[in-house]
Amino acid sequence: MAAHLSYGRVNLNILREAARKELREFLDKCAGTKAIVWDEYLTGPFGLIAQYSLLKEHEVEKMFTLKGGRLPPADVKNIIFFVRPRLELMDIIAENIFSEDKMHPARDFHILFVPRRSMLCEQRLKEQGVLGSFVNIDEYILDLIPFDGDLLSMEYESAFRECYLENDQTSLYHTAKGLMTLQALYGTIPQIFGKGDCARHVANMMLRMKREFAGIQNQILPVFDTLLLLDRNVDLLTPLATQLTYEGLIDEIYGIHNGYVKLPPEKFAQKKQGEGSKDLPTEPKKLQLNSAEELYAEIRDKNFNAVGAALSKKAKIISAAFEERHNAKTVGEIKQFVSQLPHMQAARSSLANHTSIAELVKDITTSEAFFDNLTVEQEFMTGVDTDKVNTYIEDSIAQKDPLIKILRLVCMQSVCNNGLKQKVLDYYKREILQTYGYEHILTLSNLEKAGLLKPQTASRNNYPTIRKTLKLWMEDANEQNPNDISYVYSGYAPLSIRLTQVLARPGWRSIEEVLKMLPGPHFEERQQLPSGLHKKRQQGENRTTLVFFLGGVTYAEIAALRFLSQMEDSGMEYIIATTKLINGTNWMKSLMDRPQSQTS
Amino acid sequence: MSTDCCLPTEEEEETGRGGAALAASADSSAVIILSSCGSVRFGSGIRTSRPNPSLLFLSMAFITANWNPLGDAFYRKTELYEMFWSLRDGLGDSLVAAAPYGGPIALLREPLRRSTSSRPQLDIYSASGVSITSFPWKSGPVVHLGWSVNDELLCVQEDGTVLIYDLFGTFKRHFSMGQEVVQSQVLEAKVFHSPYGTGVAIVTGSSRFTLATNIEDLKLRRLPEVPGLQGKPSCWVVLTQDRQTKVLVSSGAELYVLDNTSCTAVYPPGLSPQAGSIVHMAVSFSYKYLALFTEAGHLWTGLSNLQERLSEVDIKRTAPPTQMVWCRRPRSQQPSVVLMWDRLLLVVGACNDTIQFPMEERSVLVGELDGVRIIAPCSQELLQEVPLVCQDIFKIASMAPGALLLEAHREYEKSSQKADEYLREIKEQDVLGDAVRQCVEAAAHEYDPDTQKALMRAASFGKCFLTDFSPEQFVVTCRELRVLNAVRDSSVGMPLTHTQFKQMTLQVLIDRLVYRQFYPLTMEVCRYLKIPDYQGVSRVLKHWASCKVQQKDLTDEAIARAVCSKVGDCPGVSYSDIAAKAYECGRPELAIKLLDYEARSGEQVPLLLKMKRSQLALSKAVESGDTDLVYTVVTYLKNEMNRGDFFMTLRNQPVALSLYRQVGSAEPEGVGGPGW
Repeated sequence: MAAHLSYGRVNLNILREAARKELREFLDKCAGTKAIVWDEYLTGPFGLIAQYSLLKEHEVEKMFTLKGGRLPPADVKNIIFFVRPRLELMDIIAENIFSEDKMHPARDFHILFVPRRSMLCEQRLKEQGVLGSFVNIDEYILDLIPFDGDLLSMEYESAFRECYLENDQTSLYHTAKGLMTLQALYGTIPQIFGKGDCARHVANMMLRMKREFAGIQNQILPVFDTLLLLDRNVDLLTPLATQLTYEGLIDEIYGIHNGYVKLPPEKFAQKKQGEGSKDLPTEPKKLQLNSAEELYAEIRDKNFNAVGAALSKKAKIISAAFEERHNAKTVGEIKQFVSQLPHMQAARSSLANHTSIAELVKDITTSEAFFDNLTVEQEFMTGVDTDKVNTYIEDSIAQKDPLIKILRLVCMQSVCNNGLKQKVLDYYKREILQTYGYEHILTLSNLEKAGLLKPQTASRNNYPTIRKTLKLWMEDANEQNPNDISYVYSGYAPLSIRLTQVLARPGWRSIEEVLKMLPGPHFEERQQLPSGLHKKRQQGENRTTLVFFLGGVTYAEIAALRFLSQMEDSGMEYIIATTKLINGTNWMKSLMDRPQSQTS
Repeated sequence: MSTDCCLPTEEEEETGRGGAALAASADSSAVIILSSCGSVRFGSGIRTSRPNPSLLFLSMAFITANWNPLGDAFYRKTELYEMFWSLRDGLGDSLVAAAPYGGPIALLREPLRRSTSSRPQLDIYSASGVSITSFPWKSGPVVHLGWSVNDELLCVQEDGTVLIYDLFGTFKRHFSMGQEVVQSQVLEAKVFHSPYGTGVAIVTGSSRFTLATNIEDLKLRRLPEVPGLQGKPSCWVVLTQDRQTKVLVSSGAELYVLDNTSCTAVYPPGLSPQAGSIVHMAVSFSYKYLALFTEAGHLWTGLSNLQERLSEVDIKRTAPPTQMVWCRRPRSQQPSVVLMWDRLLLVVGACNDTIQFPMEERSVLVGELDGVRIIAPCSQELLQEVPLVCQDIFKIASMAPGALLLEAHREYEKSSQKADEYLREIKEQDVLGDAVRQCVEAAAHEYDPDTQKALMRAASFGKCFLTDFSPEQFVVTCRELRVLNAVRDSSVGMPLTHTQFKQMTLQVLIDRLVYRQFYPLTMEVCRYLKIPDYQGVSRVLKHWASCKVQQKDLTDEAIARAVCSKVGDCPGVSYSDIAAKAYECGRPELAIKLLDYEARSGEQVPLLLKMKRSQLALSKAVESGDTDLVYTVVTYLKNEMNRGDFFMTLRNQPVALSLYRQVGSAEPEGVGGPGW
């Protein structure tokens, strides 16, 4: 079920098991039958930790979604609320409880705060006069959720917004706590590097927490050699660009949520033979995407242009494998063939799925609009005409293209030009407000606060220097057989990943100048290991680095890091952790004011 | 004693007799043993080449010199200390309370003196008589003194007030045993230990009993009336049975058990009718056994639930003893009762056997888990049954494996080939492992370091000839003995036996040492026994620091520095606890200095708020990054400060301000919202 978590360099299943154990312990604390009332946002992340079967084993009979009014009837002894510590949710719970009491004989109420209990929420419950109704108020510390063999995410949606807009560092506190949990399971991480204000803050908290635990020394041999903390605002450019890896594109177009993607059903319905097109399923097709699927693991990180070739190669292999049945003469050979059948059939259906997805994606990538958009992006990234009003953007606004697309492009231009000239900026702003409505002035202000959209200050544009020093643009990116991380954006090498790469070799000292141009301090800390835990490295053994992106990471960046891990001479393997898996679209959304009214 | 033990060679026989003579001169009672053993030995046949146990007798004579037979067991009286104190008037007309487990001794002279001109003096000494504190008693007349399980002194006054002092004579608190006692007065009181803690029982002038089973959680229970009882009962004890506390009281010819609701007459099974009424009684340390002394001089012993009789002995003394105490040990062979009169100490075993010791001065008996401590004005002795393993090793002409091993080692030290003979003898029987174990175990029970050493060396010697013998017991015993010898030292004065030590556990010992402020010693003990820091050294440092901040004569700066340099980053020491203590002692500045060292902000903040250092609390909370903590402070400040100050405070803390704005925006309008 979660075997793919243990294949990687670091067995992340340990983390998942620890989380499951804690969940079981809590469930067992409430004796008798239970119904769980879910904060809807939590169901996705929880699905990665525990399936319904586990809950069922612990006498969970019903599950509801948290909403106002009366709780649906259920003949259970306990009602457990699984909620994030949000004040608005507390009000709903209070409403639930008030309408509950009258109709039923006593049922026990419990609250499980995820990931942490909060004084403020309890205070609110108290004000509402329902705090006393709860038998148990507990917290379920679920910070880092394993997504894949090398990927952890906190799925803390508002992390970037909170840190950079609202100056609320709760997510950083959770990050630090999560890293402490990780260290408790995988050993103290001896080296910590970081770049950015938030990174500095997290590192400080970690060191402080370590002092708090002093004395209870961790006797686990460290699995990670290095921790790299990176602020998202060090590299604002990368998430704005359109990802061009297979997985990245799926995310850009359809959105991957907690490892699942929902796809339009038409393409998949046709696959079923004999049914014809009579009853087209209207439900979107839901697919789980992770490295458990062999084919997906292979193609997910490829540039989309290389996916077609990979799929056709795979198709040939599979059909060749099926052809082998004709060669199978003896009973033994046939038996062997039959024993491989389930695996082959799985591979075939997986191939069929991905061929369909690739077709869907290809329809979009081959469209003119996509191409034009990409051209403008690449112009910006190479520094062409970034100081003028871009005609494509102008046209797009005029055609009232989706606002998010416009914002992504404008922000990109601003970032690549280290701020826009006041005149250009004002022009864009005016155009946007007049076309899309004045309510967006708040969004624009947010983008300015976050540093995505800003007027150029006196200092000269330093983006070209950064680009040249870190080789952010590679003219001859090889998409089929990549030799550099720039393949993930077909030319642009993500800044964040370049920093990671340089840190591994030759070290940050070589790029001091550039680091100074990027926002926030860079630093290095060491954590003392108990004697006897110093690793004796075998010849040729790779080092392991945990890269933590504070404020989110894109699939393309993950692909680039995986590419680095696989490079033979890199000598480094990367495990990726983040507050949230993002793409340009949902990232923009999180920064928009009143995002719910903008979703269409 | 084995009959096949052999006749010594001429030479050895001589030395053997020399030893006997020496022993005889040392203590007259020892002669009996020697002669009886001697007869067996000399009566047996000759087998020359066998090892000779008589040598044991030579050197061990000193050890067995103070052994007295009682039935088939032996009792020994060992001197623990020559007391440091110098009491002018002895222990006469003083109230004395000595805590078990080598606890402190409290002494109140002339407790009932009422004149205000010369107040009685209350002294607290360590068990070795080192004065801990001394102060004049200013409250009312005291009826009884007793020690609680936490080494607190309970003083029961005539008017029913119980005052509690700590070891250093600092008044802690007081409570009353009931309003009606103020008129009727306390006639007698007893402090007892129950599974719930320390209790107090009193009998009042109106012949009613009142009990408090746990002074920490005071619940007074007035027991039912005893029929026909007027004035003071002739004797009574508190029993703890089946988690119930009862009082056994003798009134006239009757014996009653008082529990919460009823008063039941009981009859000790098998008590002879001519014994008469009961005039003295005693329960054992474990509350399991009861001894009754009757008018006619009969001593009845039995189970304290009065279901079974152990024995009844006619002592032939009708005067009631001044004190009567059980003397037994876990797995006792021959439990006994120790009775004390002015000039005589009588040990009466269940087998009708008795031992008599003359007494020179008035003494006090303290019942222990495995014996009785006899505190006299100038010395302190321990009377106990000799543990079986010590008997096996030291008993004259013993052929127990341990005895042979000890002898083998002695010969080895003398470079005599006889060592080999003894060793062979043990190995032939294949009991070398037992021999080593015996020696180690016996060493634990011995009080004299030289004897301990001799036994441990023998054990270590024997261990060399064993291939797969676990050294665990040996090592542990060595360590424990070193610790025990250190705390027995008269400057510390905790005469703990190994059995008591095992019962009270190391943790408690450390706590008690810390409580008595033997910080360096305790640190040494913790380090020596390799106790994990957070259980050992950290606890000591924490206590030390809390004590240090109370030193009035040092500046805040000096104390903070001293505490920090000692405690450093020692795990598990909470600076906020120390700071809280400093704050309690009225030194807020020191508390703030100490709080700076606290790593856990969650701990710093509440204390800072308590000290009204809200600005500092807020900045610490922000520093910690724990937003919940920031909210806590903000909410607190909002309630504490006026609006203006509150917002000015927030202005300086942008993080706190932005958090507050979020709460404000999430709150329904008008209900305490920030108002913008």
